[in-house]
Amino acid sequence: MLYFIYDGSFQGFLTAIYEAFYSDNPPEQIVSEENFTTNLFSTTKKIETDEEKSDKVYAAIKDKISSYTLRTVYYCFLSELEEIEINLFHYLKLAFKEGGQVNKFHSNDIVKKIKSARRKVSREAHRMKGLLRFRTLKNGVYYGPMEPDYNIIEILARHFAKRLSDQDWIIHDLSREWAAIYNQQEWALTPLTETEIELSAMEEEYQDLWQEFFDSIAIENRQNKKLQQQNMPKKYWKHLVEKNN
Amino acid sequence: MDLKTKLSILSDAAKYDASCSSSGSSRSNKSGGVGNAARNGICHSWSEDGRCISLLKILFTNNCIYDCAYCINRASNDKQRASFTPEEVIKLTINFYRRNYIEGLFLSSAVEKNPDYTMEQMLEVVKKLREEHKFNGYIHLKAIPGADSQLIQEAGTYADRMSVNIELPSNDGLQKLAPGKKKEDILKPMNMIGSKIVESKANRKKYNNAPQFVPAGQSPQLIVGATPEPDYQILRLSESLYQKMNLKRVYYSAYVPVNQDSNLPAIPKPPLLREHRLYQADWLLRFYGFSADELLNEGNPELDLDFDPKMDWALRNLDIFPIEINKAGYDTLLRIPGIGVRSAKKIISARQEKALNYQDLKKIGPALNRAKYFITCRGKYYGDFAFNPDSLRQKLKHKVGKQDKYTQLSLF
Repeated sequence: MLYFIYDGSFQGFLTAIYEAFYSDNPPEQIVSEENFTTNLFSTTKKIETDEEKSDKVYAAIKDKISSYTLRTVYYCFLSELEEIEINLFHYLKLAFKEGGQVNKFHSNDIVKKIKSARRKVSREAHRMKGLLRFRTLKNGVYYGPMEPDYNIIEILARHFAKRLSDQDWIIHDLSREWAAIYNQQEWALTPLTETEIELSAMEEEYQDLWQEFFDSIAIENRQNKKLQQQNMPKKYWKHLVEKNN
Repeated sequence: MDLKTKLSILSDAAKYDASCSSSGSSRSNKSGGVGNAARNGICHSWSEDGRCISLLKILFTNNCIYDCAYCINRASNDKQRASFTPEEVIKLTINFYRRNYIEGLFLSSAVEKNPDYTMEQMLEVVKKLREEHKFNGYIHLKAIPGADSQLIQEAGTYADRMSVNIELPSNDGLQKLAPGKKKEDILKPMNMIGSKIVESKANRKKYNNAPQFVPAGQSPQLIVGATPEPDYQILRLSESLYQKMNLKRVYYSAYVPVNQDSNLPAIPKPPLLREHRLYQADWLLRFYGFSADELLNEGNPELDLDFDPKMDWALRNLDIFPIEINKAGYDTLLRIPGIGVRSAKKIISARQEKALNYQDLKKIGPALNRAKYFITCRGKYYGDFAFNPDSLRQKLKHKVGKQDKYTQLSLF
């Protein structure tokens, strides 16, 4: 079984797609170095990330298929789901043949798989745009910790760079130990492990006010905790100010 | 009184307002400003009643000159009263927003002193938020009936959404339960806001930088179950408001028995299932091409509580069913129980690839537990008993009625 091994970056993945398309012997799996475990039957080919090749694939998807498809590929990549890379390869083969209308093939298994991965990522990203909570630190920085299922930090960083553009902030993915750091000009990703934080003097007052609002806005006669949990799954409660005091 | 106590009183007093939507506006952030609006809206939390929290929903004051029977803030209620200052509302909004607690502000108010005074205070809040604090997040503002239309109009240039509460679905109801309020005072600002929205949209087509006016539209609310109007009358009212006033949507709020009053019905619990059915019917009016007269009529003026309104309609119009899924147009697909806007669109586009069989249809994912009784797929019928107009209603009542256990509709 032939494995293409890439470095785990999106560019690396697009390079692997390039190689897969032009190879006489297409891969049966595409896996990142980190996730690859060798076995008796595997032969491997190491993919060197190549900017030119990945740019070509990027442009070809956008121009020859559609920008919707490009976004689909990117979101699916962020899902980090098992075998997502090889599924994306099969999806792209079909998409280059059929064009943008491939996304309308709702009863096609591969399209369905890909769309479901896209939906998972975009749904969590949308949720987290609402559920992320910033705390103000002693040094004035707004600090937002999270532990999402998917690797959505870049999507969030882009969102908050527009929305909260005049404050310094850090979005911290505690499970992946990555952070997006923004300095009112631009944001960048950097590795960051869990660290002790010191809250600003004002912080507790606002957390307290928010908690008060959260409690008094609910209508007792209409209590429906099941619906609450359905909309806001418990896995996200840990970092919610209103659910964790 | 400290800010926390005020917030507690004035959010508690605002909670009966159903709307918390933050969608429909795509106001962008500007350099040095804070916030933007997301076209689809964003929910930030969910309270214990399962409703989404998107906006800081508060009253400016609960000090009211009116004595509306159904309202928790009526003047004759012995309640703790509080009023914010504009600065306090601004401070809360900005600080909550910067921590990503909220999408913006929903400011409503009781009528303190007189309508103009109240509207002036609210105008000051939104004007300062936009101009001094460069706040570009979402603002939903209530227009106070009876306030000077200049004030309402100016406030509309700062708000993303504005709404006037219709309160009750008929003039009789209004006279009986809200004697301080006049129908004209409610309709006048709705009309004005509606025509200003149309005007501003037209201007913006010509000039990109023409000022926005309430870009997310207006969305009034009315209380269901405090007065005896049937669903038919309520839906007719909504339908005509949609046609005439350029509304985004109407909110229905099941009457929550908060006061004792001889003019009020004695009910133990708010009529939530009825509210749910009204929302379903309202959706049929706005997105499915139904008219109120198709759903209900004088002889049959209440929505069925066992079946959703579309299922009920289908069972009364069985002559057009079963419908072949591979042939029906979009408008016809929408009329099939269990098929919504999204699945109808998916069916249409999936048909471009090939004629759909029942397995394909399953993958597309409409609610086949309801739809299967009303369709054929490549000519074959998949209901688990024969299509028989005489017995379908009874059989479905047994089957679907049980599955369609009521769950509260989530309001985005």
